[in-house]
Amino acid sequence: MKRVKKISLGTTICAVIMILIALVMIVPLLNILAKSISHPDMVSKLKGYNILPKGFSMVNYQVIMNNPIVLRSIFNSLVVTVGGVAINIILTASAAYVLTRPNLVGKKLFMYFFIIMMIFEPGLVQEYLLMKDIHLLDNLLSMVLYKSVNVYYLIILMRFMEEVPISLVEAAGIDGAGHVKILFKIIIPLCKVPLLTVGMFYAVFRWNEFFKSSIFLTSKNNTVLQVLLRQFVVNSDSEVIVGAANILANNHIAQLDNGSLKAATIVVAVIPILLLYPIILKYYTSGVLSGGVKE
Amino acid sequence: MANGQSKTVRSTLKRIKRDRTLYLILLPTLIYFVIFHVIPIMGMKLAFYDYRIMGDSIFIGFKNFQKLFSTPNFTRILENTLIISAMKIFLFFPLPVIFALMLNEFKPGPFRKTIQVISYLPHFLSWVVIAGIWFEFLSPSSGVFNMILNSLGFDSVDLLTSKGAIRWILLASESWRSIGWDSIVFFSAIMGIDTTLYEAAKIDGAGRLQIIGYIIIPALLPTMITVLILNIGFFMNAGLDQILNFTNIAVNSKIDIIDTYVYRIGLQNSQYSFATAANLFKGVVGTVLIVSTHLFSKKLTGKGAW
Repeated sequence: MKRVKKISLGTTICAVIMILIALVMIVPLLNILAKSISHPDMVSKLKGYNILPKGFSMVNYQVIMNNPIVLRSIFNSLVVTVGGVAINIILTASAAYVLTRPNLVGKKLFMYFFIIMMIFEPGLVQEYLLMKDIHLLDNLLSMVLYKSVNVYYLIILMRFMEEVPISLVEAAGIDGAGHVKILFKIIIPLCKVPLLTVGMFYAVFRWNEFFKSSIFLTSKNNTVLQVLLRQFVVNSDSEVIVGAANILANNHIAQLDNGSLKAATIVVAVIPILLLYPIILKYYTSGVLSGGVKE
Repeated sequence: MANGQSKTVRSTLKRIKRDRTLYLILLPTLIYFVIFHVIPIMGMKLAFYDYRIMGDSIFIGFKNFQKLFSTPNFTRILENTLIISAMKIFLFFPLPVIFALMLNEFKPGPFRKTIQVISYLPHFLSWVVIAGIWFEFLSPSSGVFNMILNSLGFDSVDLLTSKGAIRWILLASESWRSIGWDSIVFFSAIMGIDTTLYEAAKIDGAGRLQIIGYIIIPALLPTMITVLILNIGFFMNAGLDQILNFTNIAVNSKIDIIDTYVYRIGLQNSQYSFATAANLFKGVVGTVLIVSTHLFSKKLTGKGAW
């Protein structure tokens, strides 16, 4: 006799709730995508819950990509993200290596220092005045250097570096390898996964950052994408995307649906995250960041 | 005795000399922290001075703080910060636990995986993007929320400009962003439960609810306590990035928090010393909270914030 598996009422209710939650999260994103590629003449028929475009047109993306300020902001965001993550990784990995060497004089002192740095954040006015004093105001370098080390990630990397067998390091030392060589040839290859994961989280933070960028980067030329997006989506300042000349001329660009242009800009700002997301999930599920609350 | 001491000093010096490359490798990180953290933190002594663009600032002691606490605005801002934080910590707290429990009702497979992949995603979106999504969702003219209201026979409402609703919108959007991601820690705690416990319970005739009540929730309790205590440590941070994007003139008085206040009076009105006083107050209270909750959690469950 075949046994039919019964699905209980409880499981069904759970499934319905889970599906609803997932829909509430994914439908708005798909709707934005659909809106951004819908045909301008038909987009008004697109409802908030539709996930398929009405007609098809890339005109919104053409407008955005032909706007030099938008292109500039994307470029700036990439510079801050790539440059910033490079510094993040170099400083965090090297500090974690030093702090995991046995018998290092002053190790405890350094740890206390870093934890104090983690807990007590500098004041906003002081951060602004500092950037002004070292002449980094309105310079992309200010955002590249901002938050160069996250102490929480440093501690996580230390936990992984501690697990590298000391015999490996000692053997290399006997063979005459210096610390720099040991770090690059032994430690970093063995800690690839945690380093990559931490790097991803740094990258997401840097790409999504908007508050300090809006304070430190004051000129239009140095704006980053999130700040531009905020002006457009949150402050409804359409000039930054549509362009003052187009608005004055009231041409076909100015008559495009603002909502569709907003949607296209949001998609552009989310794409890099979506590219990183599968990698983040793959490595995160291997348990890297849960090291924070270790079992 | 003195000889022995100088011997240890000498061996310590020897070790320092031996490890000089290590200190050199650490140096850039130390320099970074000194320039970008220590110097601006020292600069917060401005709270006790009257800032002058030209010439030296004048020491005025606690006058800025006296002024701060006698400003009716600041009392309201402090109240906003505490209320919003309390809502986010205590009302949100059970949601990821429930989410993890529900997720655990499904066997590993495509369904569970899909729910996980979708529900973790909002955590990686910037608050600017999330605000864009929520503005659309709540829009009185075209938003899905009001479509549902209308179809149920209610009139459209604009929750984003409603003083009564805006804090709930902050809570809802925070939940939307974090319910999946924050459930991970609970879900992995559930995964860590010894499966023989379930089998033994089944033999004893326990149903699903009994297994949840007598095995899973007790096993989750230490993690729940740790997460709750550590979140309380961040009570002074009510969510600057979120509020900057959700605020508008109509509701600002309800969601103006210390961080937005410091930004407004400090950088927009250039009252540097007064803003620094508010910032320093927040920093000191926040530090006391983080350190004490860390120590408390460490003592109670063995797990701290770091």
